[in-house]
Amino acid sequence: MKKLLSLVLGLLMSVSVQAAEPSIMFVNNLTDDIITNVLETTDTQEEKFARFKSAFEKALDMKSIGQFVLGVYWRKATAEERQAFLNAFIDFTTKTWADRFDLYTGQQIVFSGSRNAEGKNQLYVDSTIENNPPVSVIWRLKQTKSGDFKIIDIIVEGVSMAMSYRNEYSAFLQKNGGKLSVLTKELEQKSANFSFTKK
Amino acid sequence: MKKYVFVLGMCLMFLTGCVCPPKDPEALRVYEETNDPLEPFNRSMFAFNMAVDNLVLEPVAKGYRAVTPQIARTGVKNFFKNLKQPVYFANAVFQLEGQQALSIAGRFFANTLFGFFGFADTASDLDIPVYEPDFGQTLYVWGVKEAGPYLVLPVLGPSSPREAVGWGVDSVMAPLDWALKGEPVLLYSKFAVESFSKREGALEFLDSLEKGSTDFYATMRSMYRQNRKNKLENSNVIIGYDQVVQKKEYEFDFPIDDEFEEE
Repeated sequence: MKKLLSLVLGLLMSVSVQAAEPSIMFVNNLTDDIITNVLETTDTQEEKFARFKSAFEKALDMKSIGQFVLGVYWRKATAEERQAFLNAFIDFTTKTWADRFDLYTGQQIVFSGSRNAEGKNQLYVDSTIENNPPVSVIWRLKQTKSGDFKIIDIIVEGVSMAMSYRNEYSAFLQKNGGKLSVLTKELEQKSANFSFTKK
Repeated sequence: MKKYVFVLGMCLMFLTGCVCPPKDPEALRVYEETNDPLEPFNRSMFAFNMAVDNLVLEPVAKGYRAVTPQIARTGVKNFFKNLKQPVYFANAVFQLEGQQALSIAGRFFANTLFGFFGFADTASDLDIPVYEPDFGQTLYVWGVKEAGPYLVLPVLGPSSPREAVGWGVDSVMAPLDWALKGEPVLLYSKFAVESFSKREGALEFLDSLEKGSTDFYATMRSMYRQNRKNKLENSNVIIGYDQVVQKKEYEFDFPIDDEFEEE
């Protein structure tokens, strides 16, 4: 009975929070979708990966991320080079992230609020993964003109994914004469040779 | 032993030399962002650490996982964490963080007395928050705001001059290490088991990080830096049993050109 009551209360509360904050609702829907349709299903790794990749591409603003990650190299690149990089980047990143779905053991995400970020139409959604110790996850969003949200960064325990890739790729590009095509090729190759870790 | 490693490191540093700052403004910005003038030295030390990891740490950590049940490994992890509480306590006092000091003391007594000498994490069941202030952080609070250039230490891994000093002071303060001063075999065994226990906990994480990286050295450098910065700037971060409260905002500019906003 007590369980039922707290469940009902919890549902009511989460609904009211969601109604108040569309940005939180956006991230919450995404994590719910990934938890139920990817992490908690018993489908094959390939099926999970396909579903994860489509959710990933829909929720993330890869163009903005690619632009931030490459910095000056993005500005120098042609439209074709940018697109080729983005394709390889998305392909390889989703594979590396999908590789560790088996680490999920039922942790829940609690959303604690949203606030403005520096930068036009940007905001943060704060959340915590319930674990011991708990893990802080901050979602950086961009609101488009039509009012939709897109993720432009995910910050885990103070470590920004976008910043990490930016530092990594600028080191790689520096070693390779600043040629974006070399990085794209490397990512394509790594992605093609990728094999999912067996449990 | 530690002294020799340090002297050896210093010699290597001067032998391999420094990278000079580049002239191109964009390259200079990256150079300042990474703040790694000792990169050639750091890269060779990183390669050395990776070799040690591949040859010893990782295989032993895997073996350790294969022969022990999860519950025992969690117990060992808790035990070592509990041993660190007196050092955290001292740092909370140095930083004049009374509430943190009380929580740390409460955690230590709860786990030592009611958690079988720290093997069970009774304090978390009692919702006592977790604080882990170290001496590098104390130096930051005392006014040493600059960490200095990135530094990869042998075996210990990513660091900086400030953090290296902090690590040294923390290890001198550890009470069990004092008690084991006359027993080098026990002291090194403790260090070894603690390292294997730590490495076991990071098996998947480091594995997938390396698998997903085009330059593992740069990835580790970036992540270490960001994580450390977060810990220092959020020195009052409250890690409750189920919630992390960021006190200070996460900050960096995420510039997006206008050409994309039109789409």
